[in-house]
Amino acid sequence: MTDRTSKSILPGGTRARRSLYWQYLVEPYLYLSPAIFLIGIVMMIPLIIGISYSFQSIELLKPFDTGWVGLENYQKLWSDRKFWLALENTFWWTFWSISFQFLLGLGLAMLLTTQFYGKKLFQALVFLPWAVPTFLSALTWAWLFNPVIGPLPHWMASLGILSEPYNIMGDPNLAMWGPIVANIWFGVPFFAITLLAALQSIPNDMYEAAEIDGASAWQVFTKITLPFLAPMIAITVMLRTIWIANFADLIYVMTGGGPANSTQIVSSYIFTTAFRKLDFGYASAIAVALLFILLTYAVFLLWLRKKLVKT
Amino acid sequence: MARIELKDVVKCYGTVEVLRDINLDIKDGEFIVLVGPSGCGKSTLLRMIAGLEPISQGDFLIGGERMNDVRPRDRDIAMVFQSYALYPHMDVARNMGFSMEIRKDPANERMSRVKQAADTLGLTALTERLPKALSGGQRQRVAMGRAIIRDPRAFLFDEPLSNLDASLRVEMRLEIARLHQKLGATMIYVTHDQVEALTLADRIVVLNGGDIQQVGSPLELYERPANKFVAQFIGSPTMNVVSVTGGKNKVTTADGVAIALPHLKGTERAVEMGIRPEHIDVVDVNAGHLIGIADVVEHLGSDTNIYVDVEGLGPILVRKHGNIPAKTGDRLGLRIQSENAHAFAADGVALRQTNTNEA
Ligand SMILES: Nc1ncnc2c1ncn2[C@@H]1O[C@H](COP(=O)(O)OP(=O)(O)OP(=O)(O)O)[C@@H](O)[C@H]1O
Ligand SMILES: [Mg+2]
Repeated sequence: MTDRTSKSILPGGTRARRSLYWQYLVEPYLYLSPAIFLIGIVMMIPLIIGISYSFQSIELLKPFDTGWVGLENYQKLWSDRKFWLALENTFWWTFWSISFQFLLGLGLAMLLTTQFYGKKLFQALVFLPWAVPTFLSALTWAWLFNPVIGPLPHWMASLGILSEPYNIMGDPNLAMWGPIVANIWFGVPFFAITLLAALQSIPNDMYEAAEIDGASAWQVFTKITLPFLAPMIAITVMLRTIWIANFADLIYVMTGGGPANSTQIVSSYIFTTAFRKLDFGYASAIAVALLFILLTYAVFLLWLRKKLVKT
Repeated sequence: MARIELKDVVKCYGTVEVLRDINLDIKDGEFIVLVGPSGCGKSTLLRMIAGLEPISQGDFLIGGERMNDVRPRDRDIAMVFQSYALYPHMDVARNMGFSMEIRKDPANERMSRVKQAADTLGLTALTERLPKALSGGQRQRVAMGRAIIRDPRAFLFDEPLSNLDASLRVEMRLEIARLHQKLGATMIYVTHDQVEALTLADRIVVLNGGDIQQVGSPLELYERPANKFVAQFIGSPTMNVVSVTGGKNKVTTADGVAIALPHLKGTERAVEMGIRPEHIDVVDVNAGHLIGIADVVEHLGSDTNIYVDVEGLGPILVRKHGNIPAKTGDRLGLRIQSENAHAFAADGVALRQTNTNEA
């Protein structure tokens, strides 16, 4: 403050003006420059390169055909039946995974806020799947669904869900449920942990006041608990949706996208296109399409959250 | 509105007894104040009445019906929490009408009741605000509105004013008194502010360490405390207590001054004498019972507090109305208004007064 006034009484107004300009427009960016530089290197440059690939033909099997092709990759994408199938699969894969993960996670979190014998042990067990490496759980679930060594087909057959104990991952109509079940098992702890934290932050006197006001357990849940959890639910569901939509590890290990592409999701299709068919240009085009779909979804959910939280 | 009875009620947390042998008979429409030091079990007692804590032993009745195992929602009791416990995601109107919303009462009836309560409490302009956009006093009023809208049989208040500043507290205190007059409902009120207790209560219940020390009207507690704890807890500033030796119709202080107490029974058993600061007169040296040196003099305008150092007895606080021209270092004579003195036996129990009929 004093510094600036002393400057402005110096002869030559332009110098003072330039120092103001310097102080407010340039200086802050100098302080930010290391962060901007890092973000640029780590995030922006790969993103820009990725997007630029989608307008080129880069096939390792045709090294002499490399070059700019405009929108050709996108035109190909538009008429690619496998892409639309993968998109549909991505939707169901994400939808069922997130729904069950969320509902079971919420149930477990509510269970963990009550007191019961052996709660500590139970809590540790609930959080365990989170600690198991993805490939290990994928393999384990693949074995569990295998009628030769796993018990699940036999159980399902005796429950009448299956006509006979066969491997559901060989059936194009059911194969997706194999990775979905594994994914549910794998993702429940995340919801249980975050929702438990959110539940514990609800002041106890809210519940007491509602009890005195005469609310039943269900009314307490819908009118007190859910509104308190809503912001947390919105943000976790959004994060997990994006994550699951991109999460091809389980599928890749358990079914490899088969049979007949019935478990191919967009991100596993990208992976196969890039590293099996070695067509990086086309893979980038698919990736850009996925990016836009997920961005639209995130914007929609953030808008929804803002609307809900305001009231 | 109903009579509330507690019979031999006990509360234990595990093996720890936090309330013992609580016997209370609260009449319909009575304003009862629970006072006591922190941790004595006031909130616990209130929460047991509300049904938020199970009762370990004894009987709890509302309107003659045993309510021990009845759920809070079926007790028809409203409670105002110290933290107000307003629902942060609901506006003022919905907060107040929540109990009716739960009961699925018709919306237009709910609206009109909310409006009526908001008018009573001066909240009409605020009904669409969220709790976070209200001041402390306004939140407190919303919490009260939420209680009165239900027209319950009894109101419970747990230190409802302790989060407010001094002037707002006085204002809300008057408002609660007015509300009690208007509704005529049974009210049970927890506080550790004795001004609130003395001004609001029909009867005060003094609790200490899980036991009821005394139940009585404010004046009764002031004039005839049952024991030393009540004597020192009620009244501000605190009653002076000095060690004495008992004698026939008199007590004798450590330096040999005899004080006649003909109005007390069994003064032979007295080991301590209590005298309120306002019941000591400042007189000429040698004209009173005690002689001391003024240590600190506080001029409060309406009153003067003089802390007098009496040799052999320690500091004695004297409070006189108006301005007393005393200053630090003055030698003063103190005359004890012996007809207002209290005496306590070795177990702290106050000696009974001869002229009062036991009621
Ligand atoms: N859940 C509990 N488990 C064990 N002891 C408890 C529990 N809740 C309260 N207590 C004990 O019961 C006693 C009474 O507590 P209570 O909250 O009723 O005190 P209070 O008179 O309301 O005090 P304050 O004026 O500070 O609010 C305290 O000694 C407290 O430690
Ligand atoms: Mg308390």
